[in-house]
Amino acid sequence: MLSVRDVTTAYQGLVAISNVSIDVEKGEIVCVAGANGAGKSTLLKSIAGAERPRAGSVTFDGNRIDGMAQHLITAKGIAYVPENRRLFPRLSVRDNLRLGSYLYRSEANRDEPLDFVFKLFPRLSERLEQRAETLSGGEQQMLAIGRALMTRPRLLMLDEPSQGIMPKLVDEIFQAVKRIRDAGMTVLIVEQRMAECLEIADRAYILQTGRVLMQGTAAEISGNKDVRKAYLGL
Amino acid sequence: MTAETIIQSLASGLLMGLLYGLIAVGLALIFGLMDVVNFAHGEFLMIAMYATFFLFAFFALDPLLSAPLVAAALFIFGAVVYLLIVRFAVRAKANTGMVQIFSTFGLAVLMRGVAQYFFTPDYRSIPHSWLGGKTISIAGIYLPQPQLVGALIAIAAFAGLYFFIHRTDFGRALEATREDAGAVALVGIDKNKVFALGWGLGAALVGLAGAVMAIFFYVFPDVGASFATIAYVTVALGGFGSVFGAFAGGIVVGLVEAITTLILPPSLKTVGIYGVYLLVVFIRPRGLFGSI
Repeated sequence: MLSVRDVTTAYQGLVAISNVSIDVEKGEIVCVAGANGAGKSTLLKSIAGAERPRAGSVTFDGNRIDGMAQHLITAKGIAYVPENRRLFPRLSVRDNLRLGSYLYRSEANRDEPLDFVFKLFPRLSERLEQRAETLSGGEQQMLAIGRALMTRPRLLMLDEPSQGIMPKLVDEIFQAVKRIRDAGMTVLIVEQRMAECLEIADRAYILQTGRVLMQGTAAEISGNKDVRKAYLGL
Repeated sequence: MTAETIIQSLASGLLMGLLYGLIAVGLALIFGLMDVVNFAHGEFLMIAMYATFFLFAFFALDPLLSAPLVAAALFIFGAVVYLLIVRFAVRAKANTGMVQIFSTFGLAVLMRGVAQYFFTPDYRSIPHSWLGGKTISIAGIYLPQPQLVGALIAIAAFAGLYFFIHRTDFGRALEATREDAGAVALVGIDKNKVFALGWGLGAALVGLAGAVMAIFFYVFPDVGASFATIAYVTVALGGFGSVFGAFAGGIVVGLVEAITTLILPPSLKTVGIYGVYLLVVFIRPRGLFGSI
C-alpha cells in the first residue's frame, strides 16, 4: 500500500534520515521505533508531504506522492497526526472534528465517521462545545486522532501518540489503534515506547541515527536479544 | 446647543460609524487571517469608488445597483492581489515583515499613480442618484439617505459575514486557517485557497463600502488615504484582527467624530478620534475586543 524507497530528507543541510526504505501493507499496524533524534518524525513528515525528501520515492497505492502538496496527500487518503497534534486550539471540539470532513463536505453522510470516532473515544462526545485548548493532553490526542479519522483515511500515521499523556490513557489510545485497524484502516505508528507499540504491531522497524537498523515482524523484533537489551531494558 | 442638535449629530455619527466599520472590516479580516496589514486598503476603496462612478457615467447605473457588481469585481481583484503579490511576499526568506509592508505599500503607490494617470486628479462626483442629496426625517431628526442606506448595508454585510464565518464550511476553514495555517493541510485544506478567499472577501467588503461612499463623496485618486487612516484606527481600536471589533470600533469612531464636531471647530474634527485611539493604545493596547 505504502512504499518508501531510499528516502533522504535534510533540514537546513543536516541530513535527518538517509536511504530509508519501509513498506506498509494494507491492514497492517506497523511500528517504527527508535530513540529521540533517530529520524522517526522526519520519516512521517516526508510521507505526509510536510517535508520534501531530497532523494528517493514515496509510493501510495501505486502513485508517486513525494513532492506533492501536503493537502493533496491528505486527499489521497493518508491522515497524519503530528507530534504536537496541531489542533485548532480556540475552535470547539465539534468544529475541529467537522473540519476533518471538509474534503467531502458536499456529501450527505458526513456524520458517519463521527459515530466511529465517538465509539472509539466516548469522552469526546461529552466535550463537543469545549474549546480544543481546554482538553487534557490525552483528550487532545484523542481529538487529533478523531480529526484525522474524519478525513476517512486508508492510512493513518501517528507520531508519538503516547507523548505527554498519563499511562492509563496511553493504553486506551493503543487499544483504539487496534480497533481502527479492525475497522479496515492501515496504521503506521512512530513511537519511543517500543514495548507498548510492539504489543499491538504486526511488523516493526527500528531507526537509528537516520537509518533503518532492523526490521521484521513484531515477534522477531521483540524476541531479538540486542533489541531487548538496548531498547526494552530486559 | 440643544438636545436636538446633539441627538442629530449622534445619529449621523452612528450612521457614518457603521460605514467606517464596513470600510475597516476587510482590513481586520485579512490581518486576522494571516497577520498581513494591507497598506493598499484605501486604494481598494478608491478603485471601488471609481468603478461605481464609471458604471454611472457610462451605463447610468445607480450606485445601489452597481454595488453588488463592484463588490464582486473587488473580490476578484483582492484574490488576484493575494495570488500574484502577497503569496510571494510572505514567502520571503529574510526580513519577511518589511517585504510584506513594502509589497502592499508599493501596490498602493502604484494604484494611486495609475489612477492619476488614467483618471486624472480631478474630483468626480455622481451628480444625481436615487439617494444622493436626499434626507429622511424620523421623529424630527434629519438623516441623509445615502448614509442611512449605507449603514443598513453595513449591518447586513456584518450579519452575512457572521453567518458565513460561523455557519459554513468555508467559514470554518477560514477560522481554522486563522488559528494555524500550517495545520489545515492535515484535513486536506489548501491554505493558499483560503488566503485568496480571505483577500477576496476583505476586498469585496471594502468594495461595497466604496459603492455607497461614491453616492455622497468626491472620487479622486487620493480619496483612499484619509479613509484608510481612519480604518487603521478603527481596526486598532476594535482589536487587531477581530471582525466584531471592526464593527464596534467603527461605531466608536463615528460617534467620537460626531461629538468632536459638536465641541471643537470643524478643522479639528479628527482630533477626537486620534485622542481616543491614543487613550486605548495606552490603557488597553490589544484594543477593545482584541484577544491578545
